[in-house]
Amino acid sequence: MPRIGVFVCQCGNNIESTVDTQKVADEAKELPGVVYSCSYKFMCSSPGQEMFKQAIKENKLDGIVVSACSPHMHEKTFRRASEAAGLNPFQCEIANIREQCSWVHHDPTKKVGTAKTMDLTRMTIQRLKKNRDLTKITIPVTKRALVIGGGIAGIQAALDIADGGHEVVIVEKEPSIGGNMARLSETFPTMDCSQCILTPKMVEAELHDKISLYTYSEIEKVDGYIGNFKVTIKRKAKFVDESTCTGCGECWEKCPFKAESEFELGLSKRKVIYTPFPQAVPNIPVIDKTKCPKILKDKCGLCAKVCGPQSIDFTQEDQIVTEEFGAIIVATGYDLMPKTRFGEYGYGKITDVISGMQFERLASASGPTGGAIRRPSDNTEPKSIVFIQCAGSRDEKRGVSYCSKICCMYTAKHTMLYRHKVHDGQAYVFYMDIRSGGKRYEEFVRGAIENDGAMYLRGRVSRVYEKDGKVIVQGADTLSGSQVEIEADMVVLATALVSRSSATTLAQTLGIGYDKDKFYNEYHPKLKPVETVTAGVFLAGTCAGPMDIPESVSQGSAVASKALALFSSDKMAREPITAIVNTKTCNACWDCVNSCPYVAITKEEVKDRRGNVVRMLAKVNDGLCQGCGVCVCACRSKAVDLNGYTDEQVYAAIATF
Amino acid sequence: MGKMEKELREKAKELLESGEVAVVIGYGFNRRKTRVTPVFITDPAETDKLVFNALCVNNLSIYLTRKYKDVQRIGRPAIVAKGCDIKNIVVLITEGQVKREDVYIIGMTCEGVAYKQELLKEKLVPEIMPVKCHNCDVRNPHVTDTVIGEKSDFTPPEEPTGMVFDKIKQIESMTATERWDFWNEHFTRCIKCYACRQLCSLCYCEQCITEKNMPQWIETSAHPRGNLAWNLIRAMHLAGRCTFCGECERGCPVNIPLNLVNQKLVLTVKNAFDFESGYDENVHPPMIVFKEDDKESFIK
Repeated sequence: MPRIGVFVCQCGNNIESTVDTQKVADEAKELPGVVYSCSYKFMCSSPGQEMFKQAIKENKLDGIVVSACSPHMHEKTFRRASEAAGLNPFQCEIANIREQCSWVHHDPTKKVGTAKTMDLTRMTIQRLKKNRDLTKITIPVTKRALVIGGGIAGIQAALDIADGGHEVVIVEKEPSIGGNMARLSETFPTMDCSQCILTPKMVEAELHDKISLYTYSEIEKVDGYIGNFKVTIKRKAKFVDESTCTGCGECWEKCPFKAESEFELGLSKRKVIYTPFPQAVPNIPVIDKTKCPKILKDKCGLCAKVCGPQSIDFTQEDQIVTEEFGAIIVATGYDLMPKTRFGEYGYGKITDVISGMQFERLASASGPTGGAIRRPSDNTEPKSIVFIQCAGSRDEKRGVSYCSKICCMYTAKHTMLYRHKVHDGQAYVFYMDIRSGGKRYEEFVRGAIENDGAMYLRGRVSRVYEKDGKVIVQGADTLSGSQVEIEADMVVLATALVSRSSATTLAQTLGIGYDKDKFYNEYHPKLKPVETVTAGVFLAGTCAGPMDIPESVSQGSAVASKALALFSSDKMAREPITAIVNTKTCNACWDCVNSCPYVAITKEEVKDRRGNVVRMLAKVNDGLCQGCGVCVCACRSKAVDLNGYTDEQVYAAIATF
Repeated sequence: MGKMEKELREKAKELLESGEVAVVIGYGFNRRKTRVTPVFITDPAETDKLVFNALCVNNLSIYLTRKYKDVQRIGRPAIVAKGCDIKNIVVLITEGQVKREDVYIIGMTCEGVAYKQELLKEKLVPEIMPVKCHNCDVRNPHVTDTVIGEKSDFTPPEEPTGMVFDKIKQIESMTATERWDFWNEHFTRCIKCYACRQLCSLCYCEQCITEKNMPQWIETSAHPRGNLAWNLIRAMHLAGRCTFCGECERGCPVNIPLNLVNQKLVLTVKNAFDFESGYDENVHPPMIVFKEDDKESFIK
């Protein structure tokens, strides 16, 4: 006969106001198997816990039901206390009588609440009788982190993990780390130069003895699970020997062929052997194999001739490497909305209509104009610029439904930069709302309007067209209720920040989810903002949604703390809520294998003594299984069960009715 | 003896003599030659027992499953299969129950079979064929190692025809209460003999859910409550997998119209997922495959 104890919590007045807890305790005591019951004001308090442990010992309890708040709140607390009192922690179950009972019933006579609490408690008692002792699963941890994406979020995460003493590999698809932040001129609200604050971090990452940079590389495949990932990385051929190259720049000086610069967003050209920007880290060039005549038709080869240390190697091939990691940090950043989405603004057709990011390059001291604001069409100084906010953002029909969050701020910054560089220039801003939540953000926008004379017009632009070398912007000023037409020299669109075009492929490789806009899903948007549903895979920065630099950096540090916590011991313990396969009844139809979202079930061969395969079985990998129960539903012969939520337990609970 | 039968016997003999297969699973006459029964030929001299005619309605693919361990123990089988039977074999391959290379499929071209053998007097007429034959698109078998018989030039009608489809439309137009009453009336008759399960080659579980007793999800006595649970669960277990071979209804001793359920499932899965089972062994039934880009439009 089991010896079950029932502890009914009053939760101050939260439960007691609609539930007669003493009555519940008294009735529970009459149930078969229950040897002790009580009601208490705060079971989770220190005296409550003490009493709880005391009662377990004094009454020699072997099963516990705590009727209290949601197991999300205090299941861990009571299981820990049970363990301290010498019980298997999984012999302690919670009946949720607060969120699922007292809070939803408002009967002051306590009739309804008490009856339902009794039902919930009775169900849990019956369920508990079928509980088995479970032991936590321990998994070895490989104390190395993989950071996918070498932007500011990824760099910050890598630096923090490396400072914590663990090895980090940054995989970056471009030839240099730095990401989108490397493109920016100044940054709001302090107006410090982006390169000046970013490059020290890039260099620090390069020089850190715990960090390896795999630039010009991509993730091919991810196997394994938390603490034990096996990642296949493709290191694309750079055609330059990294170990001997000094980054002297002789090769790209002499290279006679040019191609459009991706980094400068089409505003200037780069060489075919190139580093994306002068401060590139590592400062080692790559050869664009789609453009290089030596690789395409065996002509030229000038770079190899001028290279002092003979680092150019045209025979290099893509390398596939497989490495082991304990944690994966996804910091893949964002893309800009493609040009084709802005027909009415003439973007892509009119040369002097550019994106905000292109304006950053014009304003940047290392940009194509050396920091002078010039029209792309004729290289003259624009005397008036129209900035159009929400180009694509908050536009469910043609763009994206969400707010890109950073555009209000960077547009204000653009108007300031413009006024600082062209003193007689006039900036006009078409906006829907100004969103400037953040430390010193509102003051920053006010500064743009009041000190730097930006003219803010609340309304949308209907049409942008070219006339006599000017860009004519027609729009509405809803505050004065009039139509306006502005003859501008240039138009800058605050284009929406969108997820990477490769976001879904990577999500599938990693087994993480994404939302309708292809931004990665957090485990919980508020309480687990950097975790994903796949244990051991974390998110940092704009791959999870629009955010500014301070937020990206804090997320970088946040994921580092998650990784360091994971790496703090050699083995990690996991809740044993995982699927188990009944080897006697498994039919090897592989429905569980096909339906598992975590690829946690594998096909196992059962061999006889001679090594012949006699049958096949499904096998659950405890490290990967998240206990979601899909396989349990999929299995037709009910050969799969879920530890902690077995069919027997669920059935016993239902059968109390 | 027709030309097809002659070819079939020769092929069977050749396969057995060469040792390529250990057993040929096919059809043979009963003593009075009024029906055909499954025969398992292991001796090349006995291949003359094999027949193929309009009486061959049985779906022999069931003998490839783990339900028939004694057949499996004989060795590599060759199976005489019509297009419709091959659909089941394909599902068995998809679900890992049979390896493609472990079975030799003798595909038989087919001009239809008789639903109830006693109805077949002289000639096979459409009236006595099951619905699956009326709308058959696999009269020329689709996954085979060898094909026996002349090529059939039958093309199925664009809109599937037959009593079942009319009845489904009729049931669809009923109210929920009427439908409940309709099915309850039928399921109440069920005597839990499990003939439907035993005849079904896709019901291959060694332990059926109805035999699970810790806990006992389905009441095993022939009680309306357990009957409903059994029939509904069996339907769900076949959704997206059932090939509409019709064996369960044919075997049901109390005439529960199981084909209605089966055909409705086939139609639902086809409409929702554009999938029909039994054609491609590399495509898994949609209900049990996890996909990131699942539309999830059924969750409302």
